[in-house]
Amino acid sequence: MLAKKVKFIVSAAAVSVAAYSNVAIADESNYPSQTLNYIIAFGPGGGNDLMSRTVVEILNDYDLFGGQNIVVENRAGGSGAIGFSHVNRQHDNPYYATSTSGNFITTPLTANTDWAPGDFTPIGLLASDAMFLVVREDSDYHSVDDFVEAAQSSRIIVGGTGSAGPSRVVASLFADEAGISLEYVPAGTGGEMVTALTSNSVQAIVANPSEVAGQIAAGNFRALAYSDGERSDVYPDVPTFQESGYDLSFSLPRGVVLPGGVDSEIQEWWISALKEVVETEEWNNYLETNSLSGTYIWGDEFGDYLSETSETFEQTLRNIGAID
Amino acid sequence: MIEELIANLGFGMSVAVSPTNVFFLFVGAFVGMIVGLFPGFGPAAGIAVLVPMTFGLDPTTAIIMLAGIYYGSMYGGTITSILINTPGESATVASTLDGYPLAQKGRAGPALVMQTFASFIGGTIGVILICALAPTLAEFASSFGPSEYFLIILFGLLLLTTMMGENKFNGIVSALLGFVISMVGVDVISGVQRFTFGSPELIGGIYFVPIAIGLFGIGELLHCIYIGQHKKMIERAKVAFRSKDFWPTRKDYSESKFTVFRGSFIGFIAGVLPGSGATIGSILGYSIEKKIAKDPETFGKGEMRGLVAPEAANNAASSGAMVPLLSLGIPGSGATAVLLGAFMMWGLQPGPMLIVNDPGFVWGLIASMYLGNMVLIILSIAAIPLFIKFLDIPYVYVIPVVVLLCVIGTYTLHFSMVETWMLLVAGLLGFCMKLYGYSPAATVLALVLGSMAEENLLQSLIISDGSFAIFVDRPISFILSMIIVAVIAAPFAYRAFKKLSYSNGVT
Repeated sequence: MLAKKVKFIVSAAAVSVAAYSNVAIADESNYPSQTLNYIIAFGPGGGNDLMSRTVVEILNDYDLFGGQNIVVENRAGGSGAIGFSHVNRQHDNPYYATSTSGNFITTPLTANTDWAPGDFTPIGLLASDAMFLVVREDSDYHSVDDFVEAAQSSRIIVGGTGSAGPSRVVASLFADEAGISLEYVPAGTGGEMVTALTSNSVQAIVANPSEVAGQIAAGNFRALAYSDGERSDVYPDVPTFQESGYDLSFSLPRGVVLPGGVDSEIQEWWISALKEVVETEEWNNYLETNSLSGTYIWGDEFGDYLSETSETFEQTLRNIGAID
Repeated sequence: MIEELIANLGFGMSVAVSPTNVFFLFVGAFVGMIVGLFPGFGPAAGIAVLVPMTFGLDPTTAIIMLAGIYYGSMYGGTITSILINTPGESATVASTLDGYPLAQKGRAGPALVMQTFASFIGGTIGVILICALAPTLAEFASSFGPSEYFLIILFGLLLLTTMMGENKFNGIVSALLGFVISMVGVDVISGVQRFTFGSPELIGGIYFVPIAIGLFGIGELLHCIYIGQHKKMIERAKVAFRSKDFWPTRKDYSESKFTVFRGSFIGFIAGVLPGSGATIGSILGYSIEKKIAKDPETFGKGEMRGLVAPEAANNAASSGAMVPLLSLGIPGSGATAVLLGAFMMWGLQPGPMLIVNDPGFVWGLIASMYLGNMVLIILSIAAIPLFIKFLDIPYVYVIPVVVLLCVIGTYTLHFSMVETWMLLVAGLLGFCMKLYGYSPAATVLALVLGSMAEENLLQSLIISDGSFAIFVDRPISFILSMIIVAVIAAPFAYRAFKKLSYSNGVT
């Protein structure tokens, strides 16, 4: 513990030196030769924080960052706007990295940020975070078809987190595809959304698996469908929307990016390092505990994937009138 | 039931009582007290900052330490409430109302000792209630939907305005100011940005911490300078640790023996309901105590019961908040939200299954809270002489140090200059409010509750398709609505009744 503390203090000192001295970037041939600043654009304890720290821990434990230190820093604020902006300003500096998640896509669409997903150097998609359509265990709906049938004849209220987040996008894509209308109630947090369902205030919720995993395991909730292209490794029994006959697929990119303008050799270096990370037992434990599916897309293909997701989002947000 | 409880606790103790765990419990409690002392630097921030340092510890040990910070800060936060009239955090706002006047009357010693006892009893009662009621309360809490949340917040705000005392108009204006500030940021319901002026720093809304530190910390200091307190010799209370005056009198104990139990139960209930927590708990504890007192006019002027009630309540509430956290995975406050994040960081899955899958963790944590309260009472009593020393430092030296702490504390929250400027503006505002008799406490509390109230009201109305019937159709909503109507109607009914009996008496 003491050693840990000392290391913490030393690395804290290192970050201040690194942050305030504008040292010229060393040549790429002996990368990495400096301390890496891993910026987390959210506060401690959230999904993005958890993934970032898992990646950094694996990089450290397996000595994948060439024996150099990695300093992790939370720069929260403005739904990721602040932290991602900080990384974006380190143009062509290969000693900065950050993790993407839903807000990496949504924040630039809804707010006036000085960055966009395309400004960064894409390294890889490490996990996809799709959504469940969830009802109470005592609900009459046992399949998506039951649900659609009920929605055709009565007013169905669906809860989710945020007014313009992934819950809303999935609910809206699903309603369009099934030709039904759903009343969407946005909750501020995952906890509020879960109680809206436990208290019978809403008939269903569109939730991230990790938000409802406990309630599903306890037999209180039942997942009807999964919004990814393939079934989740953790919940092989829950069919996808596509299998149920509704052609929609949506998931959030949990991946790693570097500032824009980074040399392509360094991009390749990172891709091979992260390919080793996702092979580890620790990474697979992380995926399982957080009910994520391991979906891997590397380099510029990841960049294309980010822009496709961004377009789907933008379209939905326009349809519901959240942006103009 | 009782045997099961004892068996569970015994199991928990066997987990909690290891030299490592006790050591980290002690560290957590001590850090918590210090965190509590920094105005505005609350348990949520304290826990968040220390989370990275717990990597490499066993999850149970780490959570025992982090939880120690959480309830330890309830002890420490009151010390500044009493000694410098600056609540260490929002849950100890109510403790300034009588705590500081007590210190001004030269009774800082008894006030500190009594708050420690009240905190200890409140905390311990809270933990006992967790063990006994956790399963039942979880069911109760899970039947709270948006309409029930809105009503419970409305109830809290209603009590807040009736508590503000002499000038209700100024109180309501202060609360409205808090509502206005809470409107900045993305509206959860529509997703539209309000009053952000294109600044990314304002998308997430105005965080209450810089506002609270500004209104209370900086505002108070400016006011002190304005009235020239720094030039005066401080009329410090002669509190000698060895003197008999340091200890509370028999009257203090006997007067507040029921207060402490009332405060504990009220606080615990407030803590269990997600979203209300220790702040509302302590306010409720204070106002109810004042309402039922035969001599409400002594409150606010250094009344021991006015300190004991909120102190017992906020500690019981911090235990109560563990119930929805452990049984449903729903955090009731900023601090428990960070704790929840820490659970998940260690791969524990919060929710109803937590206690089934990881009984060692859950019962170990609960058992550690008994021990934690014992550690804290020892720490508090032993450290009081140290804290009393704060009063001996001339104000000229205190002011720059506190300003520095406020600014550093605010800046390090998010490394944001915008928030640092907000702190300074809030400081000026707090000074003016104090000068003209407005209530900074009402502003801060409305700021905290405002967006939640709005969100839950709108959610309820979307669900009901715009009908207000939702607030009486659901059983718990109906009961809450009736209580609110009763609270509003009571003063009028009382006046009418008095008039009636007066006219009867005349004829």
